[in-house]
Amino acid sequence: MSTLEFKRSEPFTLGVELELQIVNRRDFDLSGSAPDLLRLLEKQAHGGEIKPEITRSMLEISTGVHATHGTLIVELRGLRDTVVRQADRLNLGIAGGGAHPFQHWSDRRIYDTPRFRHLSELYGYLAKQFTVFGQHIHVGCESGDKAVALVHAMARYMPHFIVLSAASPFLQGVDTGFDSARLNSVNAFPLSGCMPPVRSWAEFDTYFDDMRALKVVESMKDFYWDIRPKPEFGTIEIRVCDTPLSVERAAALAAFAQALATALVENGPPPLDPDQYRVYGYNRFLACRFGIDAEFIDVKLREKTSLREDLLRTLDLALRYASDLSGADAMRMLQQDVEALRNGSLWLREEYKRTNSLGDVVRAQSEVWSGRREA
Amino acid sequence: MQALDFLPTFPLALGDLTWAGAILLVGLACGELFRRVLALPRITGYLLAGTLLGPGALGVLDAGMRDSARVILDIALGLVLFELGSRLDIGWLRRNPWLLVTSVAESALAFLAIFFTLRALDVAPLLASMAAAIGIGTAPSVLLSVLHEQRADGPLSEHAVNLTALNSVFSVVLVTMLLANLHMEYAAGLYVLLLHPAYLTAGALALGVVASATTLVLARWLGKREVLQFILLVSMIFLVVGAATALRVSVLLSLLAFGIVARNRDTARHLMPVEFGSIAQFFQVGLFVLTGAYLELSDLALAGLPALAFIAARVGGKLLGVIMFAPLSGLPVKKAGLLALLLSPMAAVAVVLVHSTSQHYPAFGVELAGIVLSGVLVMTLVGPALAQLALALGGEARTA
Repeated sequence: MSTLEFKRSEPFTLGVELELQIVNRRDFDLSGSAPDLLRLLEKQAHGGEIKPEITRSMLEISTGVHATHGTLIVELRGLRDTVVRQADRLNLGIAGGGAHPFQHWSDRRIYDTPRFRHLSELYGYLAKQFTVFGQHIHVGCESGDKAVALVHAMARYMPHFIVLSAASPFLQGVDTGFDSARLNSVNAFPLSGCMPPVRSWAEFDTYFDDMRALKVVESMKDFYWDIRPKPEFGTIEIRVCDTPLSVERAAALAAFAQALATALVENGPPPLDPDQYRVYGYNRFLACRFGIDAEFIDVKLREKTSLREDLLRTLDLALRYASDLSGADAMRMLQQDVEALRNGSLWLREEYKRTNSLGDVVRAQSEVWSGRREA
Repeated sequence: MQALDFLPTFPLALGDLTWAGAILLVGLACGELFRRVLALPRITGYLLAGTLLGPGALGVLDAGMRDSARVILDIALGLVLFELGSRLDIGWLRRNPWLLVTSVAESALAFLAIFFTLRALDVAPLLASMAAAIGIGTAPSVLLSVLHEQRADGPLSEHAVNLTALNSVFSVVLVTMLLANLHMEYAAGLYVLLLHPAYLTAGALALGVVASATTLVLARWLGKREVLQFILLVSMIFLVVGAATALRVSVLLSLLAFGIVARNRDTARHLMPVEFGSIAQFFQVGLFVLTGAYLELSDLALAGLPALAFIAARVGGKLLGVIMFAPLSGLPVKKAGLLALLLSPMAAVAVVLVHSTSQHYPAFGVELAGIVLSGVLVMTLVGPALAQLALALGGEARTA
């Protein structure tokens, strides 16, 4: 019995969700002020959506559907400005980045909704530990079969997205040595990881029904996979990215995802290679740990290569499929950063070195996020 | 007998230090009992211990001891006022002018409400205005202590801290100005009339500015090392209290100015956020026990109507001010109401203001104490509990 209907959407359309940090402006620790901030935001006209997340120090903004980078960035900037303006009234800061550098997870409070209460009861302290901030990128697909194929084809590139977005080197007050420490918090969840090697939407549907019959999940929402089909939107959703330090970076990553998906589909997605998932976890770890400088195991070539070079080649390929000029420009910026080995984590570490205070790092982060300062 | 000369003679000659230690222990235990048995803020326990042990009741802590321990009170208040000043964010007032409007409204309405209520009860104008000026202020020690104890976090708490910093400044400055009128009433020369308040205020501001400039230079040199900056701040606070006393300018205003200027001039952020930790908590016990010792339970019966009117008018004025304007500065109406509760406590600052007035004009001081200190006594009993309740109802307490 088919239960999951994949809603058709325009291929390669884009949407972005960003989880944001709400911080106080005194010591720049996280602040549990989401209810107050959301109440002010309800009264503002804005595009997209602004929603609570599991703990009260988080806020999620999401855009509508866009065909190109150019309109996406306009909506993202508008959403950012709306949120920052209301946060200003309450003396709160809004910051990007994948994790707050020095908050104590036990200080967090669960946002009071039935679903979040349920998650908190189910996952215990993991729910509060999950106060990390990610970017989700949606790319439209015309059918469930195409979505399944695209998920498998894109899986190889998750390390690429990890190092481009990485902005969580500090956790609980110390430098973790990771570029994305955030993903380690995701790993703790039993339903994290990636989609099983199904070959069609029908197979996926059967798998899902089975998992539901076994009472492991209730809905697609319960799978915390790095990349998954999102049947109700008719998209695939990339979930490995840290929220970058600026909306410009977030939009650039979306443009890259869109162009790469286009390139993969137009060149005929490679047939599913089961070996790919044997190296998946290790490649993902290397990317989190070492950033752009990481090694990358190319399963086709059966050898260790440089992630940076693979990333540069991939960006070259994607550039040819950019949906508009501003998207191409954004990807060129990514290329320059990769060449210089620069990402959010590097910037955060430099900022810490300069100020010798993680509070000042968050302050700088919030200035960058609000567009008052360049990263 | 000579062989046993090394033994003490009875009764033991217990020095002040012994008594101070014992009194602090009683305070500590009282606070803990209040917390555990009644789930009330510890400071209420400290205060009551002080009142019970103080000259007005058991007399263990007599007036002489209390006054000689004034330095503890000054240091403790110094820590509190500096922290309060350093949490006033002028940038926020600029970004959100409604906050400033709220502040002016709640302060002005509290003043007017107290003044006219006391006038209606036939209290002399100067006395009524002095009481009203003292009534503008919220107790920084109570507010900060309850915020720390509840590990409060959120806009209600931030509004309360910033409004308290402002109303403390308004209150102290206004009391200083009114001293000029007292001079007139007591027929001091025109020279003193103008110069004294001007000197008290301007001197305090100048001292605060000099102290913060010095602190910022030293903080920059020391670097962001928590322990070193902590020692720096505590030393500077000692210096400011001492210098203000020596220069005979307002100690309260000097400390507030020191905190406000240090935080708001520190654009390069050399100074780390204030975190006084356990030493501040130690001084808090001292502060509240001593504050308690200045209050007399018998006042409660004596003062009666004017004191109760004073409290009601004060809370009413503040409530009206915040209900009208705090929603415009971003707080929901419910939280605006709770904000009035958070702004209601009175404690050490009010006591100090009454006492410094009494030092200049003893007769007037007695009348003032009758109204204000008995009001303070009531607010001492209920203020911390009200503040704790407000944080709980506003969802900003983070106690487990």
